[in-house]
Amino acid sequence: MNKLFMRKTLRDFRASWAQSVALMFIVALGIAAYVALVGSYRDLKSSYDRTYETLHFADATFAVAEAPLAVADELRALAGVTAVTPRLIRDTGYELPDGEPIRARLIGLPQTTQPDVNQLVIAEGQFFSDGATPTSLVEAHFADIYGIQPGDAVTPIINGDSVPLRVAGIGISPEYLIVSPSQQDMFPSARTFAVLWLPLTTVQILTGSNADVVNEFTVLLDETAVADTVIRQIQEILQPYELETTILQTDQPSNALLQQDVAGYKELANMMPAIILLVAAISVYVLLGRMVRAQQPQVGLMKALGYGTSDVLRHYLLFALVIGLVGLVLGVCGGIPLARWVTSTYAQELSIPFVQTQFYPDLVMQSVLISLALCLLAGYGPARSAARLAPAEAMRIDPAVALVNGRQNFLERMLPLPLEMRLPLRNVLRMRRRSLTTGLGIVFAFILVLMVWAMFDSMSIFMDQNFEKVERWDVTAVFDKPQNNATLELVRSWDGVIAAEPIIQLPVTLLTGDEREDVLLTAVQPDQQMHALQLPEGDTATAVLGDNQIVLSQALAEELGLHAGDEITVDTPFGKQAFTVSSTTKELVSTAVYVSIDDALALSPFPMAIFNGLYLQVEPSAVSRIKADLYHLPGTASVARKTDLYNDLLEMLNLFYTFMGVMFLFALGMAFALLFNATTVNVLERQRELATMRSIGTSNWQIAAQITAENVVLWLLCLVPGLLLGYAVALQLGDAFSSELFSLDITIAPTSYVITSLGILLTMLLAAWPAIRRVNRLNLAEATKVLV
Amino acid sequence: MNNPLILCRDLTRQYKMGAVTVHALRGLNLEIATGEFIVLLGPSGSGKTTTLNLVGGLDRPTGGAVLVGGEDITRYNEKQLTRYRREQVGFVFQFFNLIPTLTASENVEFALKLNGSNGRSAASRALELLDIVGLRERANHFPAELSGGEQQRVSIARALANHPALLLCDEPTGNLDVKTGHQVLQAIRDLNREEGTTVILVTHNTAIAPMADRIVRLSDGQIDSITVQDEPELVAELAW
Ligand SMILES: Nc1ncnc2c1ncn2[C@@H]1O[C@H](COP(=O)(O)OP(=O)(O)OP(=O)(O)O)[C@@H](O)[C@H]1O
Ligand SMILES: [Mg+2]
Repeated sequence: MNKLFMRKTLRDFRASWAQSVALMFIVALGIAAYVALVGSYRDLKSSYDRTYETLHFADATFAVAEAPLAVADELRALAGVTAVTPRLIRDTGYELPDGEPIRARLIGLPQTTQPDVNQLVIAEGQFFSDGATPTSLVEAHFADIYGIQPGDAVTPIINGDSVPLRVAGIGISPEYLIVSPSQQDMFPSARTFAVLWLPLTTVQILTGSNADVVNEFTVLLDETAVADTVIRQIQEILQPYELETTILQTDQPSNALLQQDVAGYKELANMMPAIILLVAAISVYVLLGRMVRAQQPQVGLMKALGYGTSDVLRHYLLFALVIGLVGLVLGVCGGIPLARWVTSTYAQELSIPFVQTQFYPDLVMQSVLISLALCLLAGYGPARSAARLAPAEAMRIDPAVALVNGRQNFLERMLPLPLEMRLPLRNVLRMRRRSLTTGLGIVFAFILVLMVWAMFDSMSIFMDQNFEKVERWDVTAVFDKPQNNATLELVRSWDGVIAAEPIIQLPVTLLTGDEREDVLLTAVQPDQQMHALQLPEGDTATAVLGDNQIVLSQALAEELGLHAGDEITVDTPFGKQAFTVSSTTKELVSTAVYVSIDDALALSPFPMAIFNGLYLQVEPSAVSRIKADLYHLPGTASVARKTDLYNDLLEMLNLFYTFMGVMFLFALGMAFALLFNATTVNVLERQRELATMRSIGTSNWQIAAQITAENVVLWLLCLVPGLLLGYAVALQLGDAFSSELFSLDITIAPTSYVITSLGILLTMLLAAWPAIRRVNRLNLAEATKVLV
Repeated sequence: MNNPLILCRDLTRQYKMGAVTVHALRGLNLEIATGEFIVLLGPSGSGKTTTLNLVGGLDRPTGGAVLVGGEDITRYNEKQLTRYRREQVGFVFQFFNLIPTLTASENVEFALKLNGSNGRSAASRALELLDIVGLRERANHFPAELSGGEQQRVSIARALANHPALLLCDEPTGNLDVKTGHQVLQAIRDLNREEGTTVILVTHNTAIAPMADRIVRLSDGQIDSITVQDEPELVAELAW
């Protein structure tokens, strides 16, 4: 390479350093977003896997009514079984320090050392210690929320009495990475569900069980074993002890929620960074191309002096390559530590104990290919077309002007505007290429900001919708013994109770074709007001909850391929019954199905009207008292406030918010770089023109006003396409972000549109400022003289 | 000289380029009377454009002063300079410097508007001015659609727009054939004689010099000689 050309390349950088730096920044941001976010998503998945593996997360869990401890040895003897831990599980109540009752689960472990299956990470304190007072390990989320530490006391309610236990340590369990009580009641409940691990004997003594009795076997299988066969063998062995459920790892509530949660991000975690990278790539292509094209007269000159086309090309490719390379190196160097940081941040949010971060060469390779290829292409195209022009032509035509055509356009003839208003309009309309590239930058900025904002908005609208419009109750109670009308009347008579509606909730299995689906059936009075079914237009609750009609959650209907009019069988503890699907309802939890309470009663063996759940609307001041009163009714299993549910769900959305927060920073940074570059180039390309205006007496503020007016015109032109495209991209992302748990409808609040639009306008006006200052300070003698 | 419009006193302009200092002007002293027609001659690099820029308030000198109507414009702030350029000076640049997005007539109008002409009168005055430089037919063409000479004439029309007290022309005929060159010079001459506009015209072309009241020869940033012509020739008599 010619030394002179090298020198020119360096000077080109110096002359347009702000633009070059902005371009490098855009490349770097795109790559950093890609490397960091795609990488951290992969890290997150492998962190889960590693946690499961390290803690020997059970492959299958078998619940029985009662079995002797020794059965575990029988199971261990089976070929294909690696480890078995027998446990005694008791679901009871728990009294919070302020006297409020919640649910609890006691898990009795047979050893005073770590179990072979479902081991715990002891985050604080130590494993059970032998001592005078019974000791317990407390589940980490619960301990965290209520500030429980080793040495404190926890107070489960056993047989109606609050029993204080000393806390030996805080445990993180693979079973409760998300605290979900059961398959039917999957809703995350860290606030209202206390998991306590105790020595087996303690649980036996406290709950009055016989010694050596257990009711659950957690099993680890050999990887090479045929799982189905081994599980069937285990089931046979356990049959005599009244096998109740077999839960495979994939169906384990915490894991199922995690998998759904992560699955929702799979698309998003790949698509969003990919969009940012794509925007970066296109922008660099356009802006770099524009910088090279602006040098067309110089290209003409070089050729006039006798340089060949290939010399010229090499020169500009070098320029492009340097931008691509610097951006790449910055992006990769920034992206990798960022990936680590993102992974560890959300691992901490979700309290994943074993975090795994890795270097992903394929991501870096893709980044290298994309950034370098695009930069080279962006440099090559315009340089080649400039180099192909006859030198005289290339020198004569100011590239910024080349596209100005002779006729006044229609709009101008229609609107006889004064010159000072015509000029900005014309500068925008006539300089098609310049306006298009600037406009592209503006539209991209809209897309970037709106797509992330749409996610925030949609999520909060979704939460509000669900917790204000759908769930209209304040407190709910679940009973483990059926209640009759007397209870209902009693509750309704309490002070502060505004309304109470009975429901029946039953875990049932839907049978359709050869598919079986475990769901939670809720029987309601068709005219109840506590849980507003989200039915399609035209359907009313009273019309779709008639005899033998069943309403499925929309997600469930889609999964099973069922439509209104289809027949399904519901398998209940009291027998099977045929139902007609009458409608679907948009539900937060996809395992929900609804029937009328009369249908449910017809199924039940009880002769009178009964229920096992209550929805209550209560006076805000009476919530605590009513909650406690409900809990003290005979047969109450749990009582929960809507706000607890809301907070539990928010916690689960931490991953979402962390991810979106990082995305938002990227989107803002990128949008700023784009707007800065686009507006700056716009001004700087016209240095000579603006300097001429100044030398014939245009004042500085008139120059500033003109450029500002142009930016406003550009912004106005981009407003509609920007908002529409931003919304469209957000819709695509919303589609991608759907799990069995949520289906997110994309809604953008009007204020978000307004703030985004004004924010972009403001950014444009501010971003143009340095360039305007520069033009206004230009030495006029020099600026009006130099040709290029 | 009893009534000097412009007084250049010990004017110097240096350009520092790293270790090297270029002395573009080395102490220029010149008085120009109102209504005078000055031709500035000199070899390339002798400081002609530099002088014009300093007088026109496009650049600031390294030393010395430029007094215009008794006021030192080198002490003006940016705002005062802008006003000075707008109200008193008309420029014809060596490289035309038209605004690419404006048509020929609009380029002229643009200057008219700066001094407060309103829309309709500005438009018709712009056409008149273009008529003077023989470009009425091309009024709606953009600079890119005009030849170099035509662009130069538009820039002259623009410079004439505000009846400047001082017209500064840098090689106004460098790109023109004899016939259009005559037209342009005649237009400048008429303005000078009829409206009393003071003109400084920079050129390499010694053939133009006879039309001046005074010929100032620059060389190496200093005045070499001044020739006073009591009977300047008519434009029509010039030949090159
Ligand atoms: N911005 C600058 N930086 C450095 N040197 C400059 C600059 N502008 C002018 N010069 C130098 O100052 C000297 C005078 O320049 P000027 O433009 O006044 O010459 P000129 O007489 O107009 O020449 P020409 O007839 O070629 O237009 C020249 O030597 C030139 O190289
Ligand atoms: Mg010159």
